[in-house]
Amino acid sequence: MFKWQKLGKVFTPQAVEGRSWLKEFAQAPSTLVFDDFVRVYFSCRPAPDAQGRYVSHSAFVDLDRRNLFEVLRVSEQPILPLGGLGEFDEFGTYPVTVIRDGRDVRAYYAGWTRCESVPFNVGIGLAVSRDDGVTFVKAGRGPVLPYSPDEPFVLSGPKVRRFGGIWYLWYIAGNKWKLVDDKPEPVYKIRMARSVDGVAWEPLGKDLIESRIEPDEAQASPDVLEANGKYHMFFCYRYSSHFRGKQFGYRIGYASSNNLIDWVRDDHRAGIDVSEQGWDEEMVAYPHVFDLDGKTYMAYLGNQVGRHGFGLAVLDGTLA
Amino acid sequence: MNWKKLGKVFDPSRHRLPDGCTAFAQSPQAVVFDDFVRIYFSTRAVDPANGKYLSHVAFVDMCKNLREVLRVSDSPVIPLGGLGCFDEHGIFPMHVMRHNGLLYGYTCGWSRRVSVSVETGIGLAISRDGGLTFQRIGPGPVLSASLHEPCLVGDGFVLHIGSLFHMWYIFGTGWKRFSEGTPPDRTYKIGHATSSDGIRWTKEEARQIVPDRLGNDESQALPTVIAISGRYHMFFCYRQSFDFRSNRERGYRIGHAWSDDLVQWTRDDEHPALECTAGDWDSEMTCYPNVFECEGRVYLLYNGNEFGRHGFGLAVLEA
Repeated sequence: MFKWQKLGKVFTPQAVEGRSWLKEFAQAPSTLVFDDFVRVYFSCRPAPDAQGRYVSHSAFVDLDRRNLFEVLRVSEQPILPLGGLGEFDEFGTYPVTVIRDGRDVRAYYAGWTRCESVPFNVGIGLAVSRDDGVTFVKAGRGPVLPYSPDEPFVLSGPKVRRFGGIWYLWYIAGNKWKLVDDKPEPVYKIRMARSVDGVAWEPLGKDLIESRIEPDEAQASPDVLEANGKYHMFFCYRYSSHFRGKQFGYRIGYASSNNLIDWVRDDHRAGIDVSEQGWDEEMVAYPHVFDLDGKTYMAYLGNQVGRHGFGLAVLDGTLA
Repeated sequence: MNWKKLGKVFDPSRHRLPDGCTAFAQSPQAVVFDDFVRIYFSTRAVDPANGKYLSHVAFVDMCKNLREVLRVSDSPVIPLGGLGCFDEHGIFPMHVMRHNGLLYGYTCGWSRRVSVSVETGIGLAISRDGGLTFQRIGPGPVLSASLHEPCLVGDGFVLHIGSLFHMWYIFGTGWKRFSEGTPPDRTYKIGHATSSDGIRWTKEEARQIVPDRLGNDESQALPTVIAISGRYHMFFCYRQSFDFRSNRERGYRIGHAWSDDLVQWTRDDEHPALECTAGDWDSEMTCYPNVFECEGRVYLLYNGNEFGRHGFGLAVLEA
């Protein structure tokens, strides 16, 4: 058995000054470990436009490796430009997941475009950094994971890992736009694709995690660690309607697998829930798990899906 | 080889169309049956939500002499896609080919965007009732934007040659605002993909297979391929990327290329050429070609002025 001991919120975007593109939100943390610091990528937003519409950027904050609550620096610029006119990532690059590839750092990111009948569509892109993850160059102007007959829209929330020389991409695929009070809300499920080079992907073509709270449960942020001979997935899930508050909002779930394909869900073992009070009293969401100096950490979002930043928890017990 | 024009063969204003459609018979696509030729086309209804167009697929059955109309479809051939799907706002065109006793319909689905007008993708729907209705294999596309084909994948045309499916299609190279105060326009080129099952495709990612005649801003659309005497011939249409709707000099014309190996294509728009005919229904533009063989003759279906608002016509190849 294990549980996550909460360490508190480590980064508050509202505290950062001098960056018009970073006013609020620090969503979907993803880490890259350096000798002296841990670089945490996150996604943020400038103030909305006159019609209340947001764009999203991705950036990073460097945390002192010996004291993760010590912020060393925040990136001067977003790590990626928005896409050009009519491209899949014209209105947002969120979220991002990073991985080392030799001396390069690769980022898989979700790109956002605006649609007429539904508010948006999302696709997954690839970008490469040759300066230790400060700036990234897109591998192409289009998505690296095309839509397909059973993954028709909203491909988002990528999490990349490599196991045994194979690249694995966990992500979400939309399967329905559900009208809630006449407003379309996306329903999405956790999926996976494999690749030998991280560029040409082979989708597995099935939902990995059984829905638990309702058939239209939305699932996101599937992050996988290997430990003690098994694979452990932490993810988040929410109801399909009225999910922006505490009652139907995001919680963190857990599943385990022996082969990365067949997963057994058991949310009771997730070991983390909303707090009695504080920054994560309404929801816990977008988990990212990583090993550092003999400990296993989870970075995650709290209320309003990271509007006010992200926090950390440390594993107490053993993933088994 | 020369095209001999046979005139306009279908005028949508003279028929009752399904799906509440009132005008347009665009991108005719022929399938030859024992006793008739079925020609699928895209026609348009007005979206009650906002007055914009929705493109629907219909068909007309014609005698094999291609002069008399036998009937026009009176019910939907394929419904539009669901909320948020790639083909929610239109299917234009749908190319239909026979395979293993079934009819495969490769759709070009349209959905509306905010910063630009539209995005497209290629879907697959299969008919098990002889082409009266088609059912999607899934709600998403079989071919869509990818790393180096950033937008507007569409207009799939498929032939099964040997043990391989070949698809010729178009991919967008980008959107651009060519002049102040006008909406953005797109440019697209013809590409090629192959498949062993017609469902999972491998693109020749972003390889433009037909050279430009008008330069980088040439848009190429609606490839259609036929083998004649051992050589593959492709017909398509091409135009300038902006100011092409009402400026005759910049509008669609039919292009042509040939290949002996399906890899290298030699462009040769003049042999055979299809000219506009002054004073006629195709005086301003010729577009959206479809070539097919019927009773030993090679025919070309195509649209004329206003992108097919007033119907489609026919030409026959003369050696």
